[in-house]
Amino acid sequence: MVTDSGSARVGRSAGRLNAPRPALVEQRFDGTPRVVNRELVTLVREEWRVVDRWWTDEPVDRRYFEVVLESGRNVCVYRDREEGCWFTQNA
Amino acid sequence: MIACLLIPGFELRAALRTRPRLALVPTALAPEAGEEPLLGPVTAAAEEAGVKPGMRLGEALATCPSLALVERDPAAVEREWEEALRRLEDAGFAVQPVEHGVVVFETHGVERLYGGVQPALERALAAAGSAWDPRIGAAGRRFTALAAASVARPGQILIVAEKEEQAFLEPLPLSLLPLTAARYAELEGLGLRRLGELAQLPRGAVAERLGVEGRKAWRLAHGGRKARVRGRKPAVELAEVLVFPDAVGNELTLRRALGSLLERLLARPERAGRPFRKLALAARLVDGGSWRRAVTLRDATAEAGRLRAALGPKLAELPAPIVELRLEAVELAKHMGQQLALVEPAGEEAESRLREGLRQVRASTGTGSVCAVVEVAPWSRIPEARALVVPRDV
Repeated sequence: MVTDSGSARVGRSAGRLNAPRPALVEQRFDGTPRVVNRELVTLVREEWRVVDRWWTDEPVDRRYFEVVLESGRNVCVYRDREEGCWFTQNA
Repeated sequence: MIACLLIPGFELRAALRTRPRLALVPTALAPEAGEEPLLGPVTAAAEEAGVKPGMRLGEALATCPSLALVERDPAAVEREWEEALRRLEDAGFAVQPVEHGVVVFETHGVERLYGGVQPALERALAAAGSAWDPRIGAAGRRFTALAAASVARPGQILIVAEKEEQAFLEPLPLSLLPLTAARYAELEGLGLRRLGELAQLPRGAVAERLGVEGRKAWRLAHGGRKARVRGRKPAVELAEVLVFPDAVGNELTLRRALGSLLERLLARPERAGRPFRKLALAARLVDGGSWRRAVTLRDATAEAGRLRAALGPKLAELPAPIVELRLEAVELAKHMGQQLALVEPAGEEAESRLREGLRQVRASTGTGSVCAVVEVAPWSRIPEARALVVPRDV
C-alpha cells in the first residue's frame, strides 16, 4: 500500500475555471444594470435566468445580462438572487 | 522465532478513531453494502450485551436495540494499517502482513539489537501503539504464533517454547483453523472441538474424510510447517489526489478526473519509467465515508489508455458522490524495454517541444504553475461548473 508522501504535489486541489468575480453595479428600477464597474451601460444585448441545484443546500438562482459598456466592451454580469449581489463572469 | 502481532477488530477500531466515544458503547461495524447483512467486529460493550461478530443484523438489533452501527471506512483502515506497519518497520522488524490487524515477523534479526526476544517483542508492542490493544504470540512456527496471539490478552506477550508447542495447541478450539463454516459443523458433528482431538486422529483417515482442507487442518493442528517469514518490500510512495470544489457524482466527470490523475501519476519522476503492476483508487464520499478499490494488472503497463480501461469501470461502483479522488500506485514492476517505433507518430515532435517548453516554465515559476483545463461538465448551465483547472506536472 502506498501512503501519502507528504509532498506538495499530493492533495493539491483543483480550482474553478471562470469563477465569478464581484462587480459594482447600479441597477435601474426594472433590475437591469445601468452602471457596471463605474462604466455606463449603453446597451443590454441579452438577458436570461439560470435556476439550478434547487434540490441542494446551495441553490443557484441568477439573472444574467450581456451588456455593452460605454467603452465598447462586452461584459456579462449577473445578479445572484440568493445572495443579492452582482458578479461578472464569462458566460 | 516467529512472532504474530494481532489487533482484533482492526477495521472497527480504525473506523472509530474519529469517534472514540462509540468505543465505550455497544457498537458494531455495519455490513458491507450489497453483501449478506452480517455484522463485522463489535466492541466489548456490544459483546457484553450479547452481540457477536458475524451475527445477523436483525438478530443483533433485537438482542441489543441500542446497538450503534459504524459505516466501513476502507481508506482509514488502509491508512492506519500502513502507519502501524511502518512503525514496526522503523523499529527494525521485517513484517509480512497477513490481513488487516494481523502481521507476522521473525525476531532473530533484532534480538541482539534489543537484548533478547522479550525486549524485542515489547518494542514491537510499543511500536504498534497501546491504543490499538495489540497482543503478540511467538513460537517456532507461524500457526502456533498466531494461535498464541489469539489467546493472549491486550498488551500481553505469549511466548511458546518449541518443546511445548503441541501441548499448547491441544486445548485450543478448532475455530482457530482456517476452515469454512460447513467444515466446522462437520467436525463438530464428529465430536471434535479441540485442536488436540483432531491432531490425535490418523492423518490418512482425516484426509480421506475431509480431503485437502482436512489434511491442511490436521497439519496445522500439529503446529503447521516451519516456513520462514518473508518481510514485505518497502512500499513505493506514489499517489495523486484531486479535491473537488463540489461533490461529483456523474461518471463522465469522474472518468475525466481519473484521466487527469493518471497523467499526473505517469509524469511523476519517482516512477523512473517503471510500469504499474497494481493501482488503487480511493475516494472520500460526500457524507464523510470512504471507498477504495485495488486493481492488479495482468501485464504491467504504463500506457494511459490501458490503465484508464482497467480503472474506469471501478468508478461505476462508487456508492455516493465524492469530494476527493485519489489514485495510488501500490506496486511498480521492474523496468521493461520499450519497443521503438519505425515511423514516429504524427505530432510527436510538436508534443515533445511543447512538453519541454512547459517543463521550463514550471522550472522557473515553481510547482503548481502549470495547469491543465479539464472539462468536467460542459453541459452545465452554471459556467464555473463546466471545467476545472488542475495542477499538472510536465
